[in-house]
Amino acid sequence: MKSKTPFIIILLVLAVAIGGAWYLKRAATKPTNPTMTSAANNGNTSAVRNGTAPPAAAGVNGAEPPHTLGPASAPVRLEEFGDFECPPCGLLHPILEQMRSEFGERVQITFREFPLVPTHQHAMAAASAAEAAALQGKFWEMHDLLYENQKAWHELFDVRPVFEGYAKQIGLDVERYKRDVNSDVVAQRIFQDGKRGHYLGVKGTPSLFMNGREIPFESMPADSLRVLINKELSGSK
Amino acid sequence: MRSASSTLSEPSSPQTKRRNLFYIAIALLSLVGLADSIYLTVQHITGESVRCTIISGCSEVLSSSYAVIGGYPLASIGAFAYFSVFSLAILAVFGYRVAGQWLLPVVLAMCLVSLWLIYLQAFVIRHFCQFCLLSAGITFTMTVLVLLNWRLNRP
Repeated sequence: MKSKTPFIIILLVLAVAIGGAWYLKRAATKPTNPTMTSAANNGNTSAVRNGTAPPAAAGVNGAEPPHTLGPASAPVRLEEFGDFECPPCGLLHPILEQMRSEFGERVQITFREFPLVPTHQHAMAAASAAEAAALQGKFWEMHDLLYENQKAWHELFDVRPVFEGYAKQIGLDVERYKRDVNSDVVAQRIFQDGKRGHYLGVKGTPSLFMNGREIPFESMPADSLRVLINKELSGSK
Repeated sequence: MRSASSTLSEPSSPQTKRRNLFYIAIALLSLVGLADSIYLTVQHITGESVRCTIISGCSEVLSSSYAVIGGYPLASIGAFAYFSVFSLAILAVFGYRVAGQWLLPVVLAMCLVSLWLIYLQAFVIRHFCQFCLLSAGITFTMTVLVLLNWRLNRP
C-alpha cells in the first residue's frame, strides 16, 4: 500500500491541474454578462431617457452619435473597443474591413475609443486625433491612417506633428483640428466610450462585441469571425 | 513493484525526516509554480495575454516570440516541469531515492531556464511579467532547497 500512495497523490494533483485548466479556459472564454451587455447594446437611448431601461444601463451608451459603418438595421452589429496604439487592434483592423467587404450591408461596425493609458503613451493623443477628425466628418479616414501607420508613429517621442500631417493628408482644416484635438468635446467623447467599455467589462483591447455578446479573443481571426457572423446571420433569419 | 521496493530508503531516521521536510517544501512550492504556469498557459491559449491590457508587462512578455517554443506555449512546458518536480518530490518523500536524486538536475535545469528568461525580460523584451517573476522566484527557492538538501546529505 505504501508504494501506491504517492502515485495516488500524483494522479490527484494531475486531475486537479487538468480540471483547473479547464475551468480557467471556460471562465476566460465565457461572454461577459450577456443579459446586461445586450441591454446596453440595443442602442435604445429613448428607453434609457424614458426610464424604461434598467437603471444600470443609464449613461453607458458611449459617445453619441457613435462612429459606425453600415446600416443600423444590419442583423449583425459589431462593436469594437480599440486603442490605436495597440498592435493586436492594428491586426484586427484589416479583418474588420474584410468582413465589411464580404458581408456588406448585413454588418454594421461601431468603433469605441478605449485608449489604454498609461500602457500606451500615445493612445490618448491618437484617440483625440481621430475624434477631432470626426468633428470635421473624417473619423474613419483618420482611423484608417492611424492603424495603417501604427508602427511608424508609436515609438516617436512627439506624435503631434505626425497626426497633424495626417489631418492635412485627409483634407481637414488643420487649424481647426489643432483646436479641436484639445477640446472638451473630444475629451468627453473618449470618456463616454471608456465609460461604456468599463460597464461592459472591457479590460483590454481589442474587445469585440457581436449583437451585445463579447467575442472571445481567439475568435477574432478572419476565419473564426466569418463563421460567427454566418452563424449569427442564419440565426437572425 | 520489485524495482520500487528496492529503491525504498530506511524510514524514520532523523536524517530521513529532515530530508522529507525538504521534499515536502519543494512539493508545495512546485504546486504554486504549477498553478502559476497553468494560469499563464490558459491565458496564452485563450489569447488573453496577446491582448493589450491596462496593466503593462505581461502582454508584452507573453505575446513575444520567446513565449512559444516549438509551437507550444513556454508556460505549458513550465507546467510540465513543475508537475515533474512535484511527482519526484512526492516519490522521494515516500522513500523512492532515485526520484530524490533526479530532483537536483531537474531543478537546476529549471533554474538556468529561469535565469535566461529573466535576462530576456530585462534586456530584450524590456518588460517584466509578474507571473513570470513569481515562477522564477519559486524556481530559485527550490534550487536553494535542493542544493541545501544535497549538501546536508552528501556522503
